[in-house]
Amino acid sequence: MTSPTVDLGYVDQTIERLGRDPAACIPILQALQEHYRYLPAAALRRVCELSDISPAVIAGVSTFYSQFRHHPVGRHIISVCHGTACHVKGADLITQALRRHLRLSPHEDTDAQGLFTLEKVACLGCCTLAPAVKIDEVTYGHLQPDQVGRMLQEFLDWQKQHAGAKGADRTRPDGITGDGEIRLGLGSCCVSRGSGKLHQALLEALRQTGANPTLKRVGCVGMCHQTPLLEVVPAAGRSYLYARVEPRDARAIVLSHFRPKGVARRLRNTVSGWLDSLLTDRSWEPIGRYAIQVRDKPVAAFLDKQEHLATEFCGFLDPTDLAEYEANQGFAALRECLANLAPDQVIDEVLKSGLRGRGGAGFAAGTKWRAVRQAASAAAADGGPGNQPFAVCNGDEGDPGAFMDRMLLESYPYRIIEGMTIAAYAVGARQGYFYIRAEYPLAVQRVQEALERCRQRGYLGDRILDSDFGFDVKIMEGAGAFVCGEETALLASIEGRRGMPHLRPPYPAQQGLWGRPTLVNNVETLALVPWILRRGAEAFARLGTPTSSGTKVFALAGKVARGGLIEVPMGISLREIVEQIGGGIANGRRFKAVQVGGPSGGCVPAHLADLPVNYEALASVGAIMGSGGLVVLDDGDCMVDIARYFLEFTQNQSCGKCTPCRIGTRRMLEILDALCEGRGKPGDLERLESLAETVRSSSLCGLGSTAPNPILSTLRYFRPEYEAHLAGRCPAGRCRALIRYEITEDCIGCTLCAQHCPVNAIEASPYRRHEIDAQRCVRCGTCKSVCPADAVIIQDVACQNT
Amino acid sequence: MPKLTIDQRPVQVAPGQTVLQAARKLGIDIPTLCYREDLPANTSCMVCLVKVNGRQRLVPSCGLTAEEGMQVESETPEVHAARRASLELLLSDHLGDCAGPCQLICPARMNIPLMLRQIAAGQLEKAIATVKADIALPAVLGRICPAPCEKGCRRGPLDGPLAICLLKRYVADVDLQSNKPYRPACAPASGKRVAVVGAGPAGLAAAYYLARRGHGVTIFDRHEQAGGMLRYGVPEDRLGREVLAAEIDQIRQLGVLFRMNTTLGGEMSLERLRRDHDAVFLAIGAVTSEQVESLALAAGRQGIQVDKLTGQTSQAGIFAGGDAVRVRRMAVRAVADGKEVACSIDQYLSGGHVTGPEPFFSSRMGALAAPELEILCQAADPGPRSEPPDLSAGYDPESAATEARRCLHCDCRKPDECRLRIYARQYGASCGRYKGSRKPFSRDDSRGEVIFEPGKCIDCGLCVQITAAARDTLGLTFIGRGFDVRVAVPFEGSLDEGLSHLAADCVRACPTGALAWRRDRQV
Repeated sequence: MTSPTVDLGYVDQTIERLGRDPAACIPILQALQEHYRYLPAAALRRVCELSDISPAVIAGVSTFYSQFRHHPVGRHIISVCHGTACHVKGADLITQALRRHLRLSPHEDTDAQGLFTLEKVACLGCCTLAPAVKIDEVTYGHLQPDQVGRMLQEFLDWQKQHAGAKGADRTRPDGITGDGEIRLGLGSCCVSRGSGKLHQALLEALRQTGANPTLKRVGCVGMCHQTPLLEVVPAAGRSYLYARVEPRDARAIVLSHFRPKGVARRLRNTVSGWLDSLLTDRSWEPIGRYAIQVRDKPVAAFLDKQEHLATEFCGFLDPTDLAEYEANQGFAALRECLANLAPDQVIDEVLKSGLRGRGGAGFAAGTKWRAVRQAASAAAADGGPGNQPFAVCNGDEGDPGAFMDRMLLESYPYRIIEGMTIAAYAVGARQGYFYIRAEYPLAVQRVQEALERCRQRGYLGDRILDSDFGFDVKIMEGAGAFVCGEETALLASIEGRRGMPHLRPPYPAQQGLWGRPTLVNNVETLALVPWILRRGAEAFARLGTPTSSGTKVFALAGKVARGGLIEVPMGISLREIVEQIGGGIANGRRFKAVQVGGPSGGCVPAHLADLPVNYEALASVGAIMGSGGLVVLDDGDCMVDIARYFLEFTQNQSCGKCTPCRIGTRRMLEILDALCEGRGKPGDLERLESLAETVRSSSLCGLGSTAPNPILSTLRYFRPEYEAHLAGRCPAGRCRALIRYEITEDCIGCTLCAQHCPVNAIEASPYRRHEIDAQRCVRCGTCKSVCPADAVIIQDVACQNT
Repeated sequence: MPKLTIDQRPVQVAPGQTVLQAARKLGIDIPTLCYREDLPANTSCMVCLVKVNGRQRLVPSCGLTAEEGMQVESETPEVHAARRASLELLLSDHLGDCAGPCQLICPARMNIPLMLRQIAAGQLEKAIATVKADIALPAVLGRICPAPCEKGCRRGPLDGPLAICLLKRYVADVDLQSNKPYRPACAPASGKRVAVVGAGPAGLAAAYYLARRGHGVTIFDRHEQAGGMLRYGVPEDRLGREVLAAEIDQIRQLGVLFRMNTTLGGEMSLERLRRDHDAVFLAIGAVTSEQVESLALAAGRQGIQVDKLTGQTSQAGIFAGGDAVRVRRMAVRAVADGKEVACSIDQYLSGGHVTGPEPFFSSRMGALAAPELEILCQAADPGPRSEPPDLSAGYDPESAATEARRCLHCDCRKPDECRLRIYARQYGASCGRYKGSRKPFSRDDSRGEVIFEPGKCIDCGLCVQITAAARDTLGLTFIGRGFDVRVAVPFEGSLDEGLSHLAADCVRACPTGALAWRRDRQV
C-alpha cells in the first residue's frame, strides 16, 4: 500500500489545541493517529516545526509505544488477544488461522484488499472470554480456529447493518420509572458479549409491552463467565439473575416479571413456560443461556467467600450515577477528612490500617504518603510555590491475565476519585493524574464523565466541599507499554518521554513528576481508601492477616469453571479460590497449578494450593502478589510453554535500557523457544538458571528483576517437564513441534474432522478410519475438538515409528 | 559531605557525588561503558555494578548517589561475576570482528588488515613494522607459507582472497633491499642470558623477540648453518638461500650470537646450558620420547611435554616449542611459537608470574550472507585478485597498493580504544557464553568521515545524550524498544545531518567501534 497524501491542517489544529510543550507529545501522537489511523512521517515533521518537540524526541517516543503505527493500515484492525488466559486457550492457533484465512505472508499484517490488519495485543483485559479477538470496537470471545472465517463475515455483516448507528447503546433511557428494576451489567466483558445490543432490545421490549420497571446500568459484578448478566429485581419478592442473555430473550424476560399492559394472557403463558425450562433444565454448561438464582449453589459459592470493599455495592451501583454513589455513603470519607482530620491524622489512619500497595510490590501505603508529605514540606521550606507534590493514580494495568483495575475504573470511578482526593489532601497535592491504559477506552470514558460530574458537584476544583483544600485531576492515556506500570517509567511517560525507568533513589516520593515529590498509588489501593476512613483502620486490619490486611481483588481466569473478578480477604487459600469460588477445573481435567502475579509472578503447584494468599507466603514459593492475576492451569498446560509465554511477553515489553533485561530476557527466551521446539541442548537448563539469576540480580527496575520468576518457579516445581523437553517430549502434549495428532481405530468415519481441518490435512473417507497428513497438519487441534468419538489423540513426535 | 566505605576503605565525597566518583577518588577502577562525567548517568550498560549493604540487588554505581554510612563492595567475586555477565550479554549482541578473520586464522596473529592499509597508503616503513611485530621471518614465509589467512578472507568466494602472503613478501623484500632495513627498537639490556637450542624458524623467532626485549641470546645448533628445516628441509627453488640468509642476518644484527656445530647432549648438556643461562628454549625439532627422557624432561604424546599456554617444560626455566612439542606443522606455526615462548621467557626472567601471551580477544561475526558482504564490498576497491605477472620480481608499488585496496576492512576501526574489548579482556569475558540469534550486519557510511555500524552499538545512550544537548542538529535517537531498540538519525536522516559538528565528540564518547572514523588513524 502506498501512503496517501496527507492533509496537514489537522496537525496545526492539534498543536493549537494541545500545546507546543514536549509534555504534550503523547496526546498529540494519539490525536494524530486517531485522525490519520497511523502516523504519517510528514505529520510528525510538521509537529516538530510547530512545537518544542524535537525530531529525536518524536521519533523516539512514537516508536517506543506499541500503540503507534508508522504505516497505513487496513480498514479494520483485528486485535488478537495474547493475554495469559487467551494463550492457554489457544490464541496462537487463532492468529495462525487468521493469517491463513487472510492469506498473509510471514511479514505481512494487512490483507491484499486492505480490508483487515492483523495485530497481536498483550491483553484485552477480558480474560473470561478467552480466546478473544477484537475487530475495531467489537469483541468476539470463545473462538475456535475454524470459526475465524465466520467471525469476519459476521463482523462485515454487522458493519453493514450498523453503519451510522454508532454509540446508540450508550444512551440512558429516560422516563422509565416503576416499581421494579432491571439491572444490566455494563463492564467491558458484558459489553463485549453484547450487553449493548441487549440494552437496546430491553428498551424495545419495555416500549412494546408497556411494562414499567427501571432499566438500570450497573458496573461489573465480577461474574464474567456469565455475561451478559441481567438481574431482575421486582418491587416485591425474590430477585432473579439471568446469565448469558441474548437480545431475543429480552421480551420474554420482561414479560415474565412485569405486568404487561394490554398484552394477551395467552402470550404470557407461552413465554413463561419456556423460561421455566431455562430455569431448571440447564446447568453449568459452557454453552447456552440460562437464568440463575442468587441463592443457587454455584452462585452462592462464587459470592460467599468474597468481601466487597474496593468493589462495595457491586452489581448495584450505576458506574456514573453520582447521586447514587452519594446515597451509598459516597464521599462521606472525604467529607470527614476535610472537616475533622488533619492530613497527618489521615496518614496515621492509613498507616494503622496496614494497607499495602496493591500494584505489586506491596509497599506500605501510609509510609509512602508520609514520605511524600515530608519531602513536600522539606521542599517548601527550601523554596517557593513550585514544590507542590503531585498525586498519580497508576491505572496502567498491563499484566496479561489481569483486569482488576479496568473493572474498578469502569465500575467505581467515583470511589477511586474519592480515594485519590483523600490521598491528595493527605500529602498536600493540588494536581493529580489518572494514568490509564489506552486499551481501556471504556474506563477512560467513565472516569472522564465522573471527573466532570465531581467538578460540578464541588468534589474537585478549588475549595472542595467548602474547605481550603483544592485539587483537580487530568487523565493521561497510556500508549501501550507494560513497563509504564513501573512508577518511574510512568512518570517519564506523563512527561511525554519514552517510558524508561530510572534508578531509585531518587524515589518519586522525593523527586517525581517534573522533579517534584509525587505520590503514585495503584487503582485498587486508592479504591480501598474511602472504606478505611469510613469504617476505620481497625475494621480493615481485622480482615486479612497480620502482615497483609484487608482484601485483594483478583482476576480469576484460565481453566477454571467460573472465571471472573473476585474480592477476597487476604489469607484465603488458593485452593478455596480455585475450587470453591472458581468451581474447580472445567471439563473434568486435573488441577495443576495457579499462575499468580503475571509475568513477574510464578506458578504455584497444586500441591501447595493450601497456601494462604498474602504477600509473604506467595513470595516464599517464588510467586508474587503482583497486581492480582490468577490464571488456573490444568494438566493440558505445559509449564515450559507457560514460562516461554511469559518470557516472550516481558522480552517484548522490556524498555531496552539496561543490558541484563534487554539482552538477558531475549537469551532466556531463545533457550525456552529451543526447548519448546525440540532443539534443546545439554546444559540449556543450567544456562537458563544462571541467566535467570543474572537478570534477577542485575536489572535496573522491577520488570527486569522479576522477569525470571516464571522460569525460576517452574524450574523449581516442574523440572522433570523441562528435562522431558530436553529429550524432545512435551508431557502435556502442548508444544506443537513435539507432538503429532493421530486418528485411532475408534474413528467412526464421520468425516467431521476432514470438514473442519483448516489446511486439508485429512481426506474425507466416509465410514473408514481417517488419516492425518503429518506434513500438512498445523497441529491446531480442531480435529480433536470436533471428533464425536474421541478418536483423535496426541502423540509424541519422538515415538513416530513405534 | 557523606562518608562511605568502598571495599572497607573509607572515602568522603561532596554531596550529590556518585559511588562511581567516590571509587575513582580511591583509585578503584570500576568499569563503565555508558557513563561520562559531564552527562547524567544513563545506567544502561550495567557494567559498573556494585553491591551496597541493605540492598538485595546489585546497583549501577554511576547512578547511585553516595550516602553517609554506605558500605559498598566493588572488587568481590560476586560483583565481578555480575560485571562479567553484563559484558558477556553485551558481547552476545555485539556484531563485529575486533580483528579480521585473516588475522584470527594467522597462527602468528599478524595484523594483516593494518599491513594492507599501510601498503595501500604507500607507507611501507610502517607496513614492515606491522609485519615484524608478529613475524620474524616475513620474506621467508612470504615464499613458503601456505597462507591459511587467505582462506579466511571474506573476499575469497567473491573474486578471490587478498594476496596477503605475496603482499607480505613484497613488504619484506622491499625492506631487505633497502639501504636501511627495518631495525626495531630494542629494550635496554636486561643483563639476562638465554640459550636457544635450534636455529630453525621457532628458535630464530624466539631469539628475535627476546633480543627486542633486551635479553642476551645465544643460539646453539648442530648444523653448520642456521635455518633448520628452512635450510635443510625446504628445496632451494622454493626458498632462495640468499633470502634466508638475509633475514637471519637481520636477527644477528640485533646482537644474537650463533654457536653452530654444537650438539645438545654431547659436550653441551642441558644441565650445563641451564646453569650457564638464565633460561633455555628448546627448539630442537622433532624428537622421540627416548630423546626427551635422555634430557630428563617429561615427554608428551608428540614430543616434549609443555604447558600449552606458556611453553614451560617440566623443569623450571626450560621452555620448548616448535616441532619439538608437536607433530610438524607449518613454518608460520613455528615462528608463532617462537614469539609466544619469548613472551613467556620474558615473564620468567622478570620474575613475574609466567602466563604466556595475553589471550587474543576478538568478537567474531562469523560467516556473512551475500547482502551483508555486499555492504562491506561497497567500501573497498572492486576488481579481482591480482598477482604479480613475474612472481620472482614481485609486485611493483602501484600494483601492490591496488591489490591492498581490495581489503574489505572487516576488522574494527577502534580495536584498541574499544572499552568493551578492554573490559572483556580484563574480566575474562567470553563472547560465546550467551550466544544467541545474530542481528544482520549493516553499516551507515553514506558519506562523510564517520561510519556507524549499528551491530556494534551497545545502546549506551551517550551519543543520543550528546546530540540532544545541542538542539541544532537532527541528532540521534533510540528507535523502538527492548531487544530491537536501535540508535538512528530521526526521520531517516543521514549520519552527517544527525551528527554534524558533534561527530568528533560522539566518536570519542562511543565506547565501541559503532561510531568510528572512516580512516584508520594508524595509517
